[in-house]
Amino acid sequence: MASPEPSPSPSPSPTASPEPTASRPDSTRTGPGRLLVAVYGLFALSASARAGVQIATKFGHAPVAYLLSAFAGVVYILATVTLSIGSPTARRIAVLSCSVELAGVLAVGTWSLADRAMFPDATVWSGYGSGYGFVPLVLPVFGLLWLRYWARRPRTGETIVTSAEDAGEAAGGGVAHGEGGAPEQGAPDQGAEDVVADGRT
Amino acid sequence: MSWVNGAVSTTIIVAGLALAGYALLMTALNHRMNVPMLAAVGVLEILLLVQVGIIVAKLAGGQRPAGLATLIGYLIATPIVPVVAVFWGLMERSRWGPAVIAVAGVVAAVLMVRLHEIWPAIHV
Repeated sequence: MASPEPSPSPSPSPTASPEPTASRPDSTRTGPGRLLVAVYGLFALSASARAGVQIATKFGHAPVAYLLSAFAGVVYILATVTLSIGSPTARRIAVLSCSVELAGVLAVGTWSLADRAMFPDATVWSGYGSGYGFVPLVLPVFGLLWLRYWARRPRTGETIVTSAEDAGEAAGGGVAHGEGGAPEQGAPDQGAEDVVADGRT
Repeated sequence: MSWVNGAVSTTIIVAGLALAGYALLMTALNHRMNVPMLAAVGVLEILLLVQVGIIVAKLAGGQRPAGLATLIGYLIATPIVPVVAVFWGLMERSRWGPAVIAVAGVVAAVLMVRLHEIWPAIHV
């Protein structure tokens, strides 16, 4: 296909006026998260649909492999939904599902190489996801990195609140930090306590 | 008939990978979604619909693959992929919009290979 050559000049955009693209993403589903959610959605669909067909049509052939595929599908769905919601609670669940996913791909990958008889049919995670271009191995790593960025980044606004304790010290210790209410301002959507909680996971 | 079939699959693979390369270049150059990109996705979508039409014609002609349910799933999912990618990519006002399109391009190519595995009568 003759793709139009990418012109260095700003191309007409159907969405909106030109604006600097360096602006920070404002949720876990924007910026790099847009790509992450897209790939997670793809795997959620393909893993669960494939497992559904396999379980419905030939479950006895490779029950372990098919059940693992179904489990992987559920984990991918969970990660897709929580990453696209992006609230503090959703992000905690997303960290959990990405971790389970990473553990799963490593465990099933090793298991499938050690005991091939158990896996006459491939799962998403067998051979460390080799049937899917090793994307299942890379995806949770990027997911966790993205979530860690979100857990660590300061709330929007000039006051950088790294933890609730720091905020308390800043509020109590200095008159200069008169806007000690900054954590409260951020509290309705994403409070400082959530930052701390996410940082520990 | 089979050579036509194979030509469409091969064209989709080439087009999908070319689209992915173009989209990744856009991401690397910090460009957002634009009209040429949408046109390129439109071309891929038309090719995919032609492919689906050819396979449906084969099914209507009485031929059946071993994994019919899987094939039908692929026939439904295949044309939806670029459409969903365009909507999801247009919502993004940064370089990551084209990155979503790149995924769709690669997926289109992979789907052709998978279709051939499901039903070898579909030549690549």
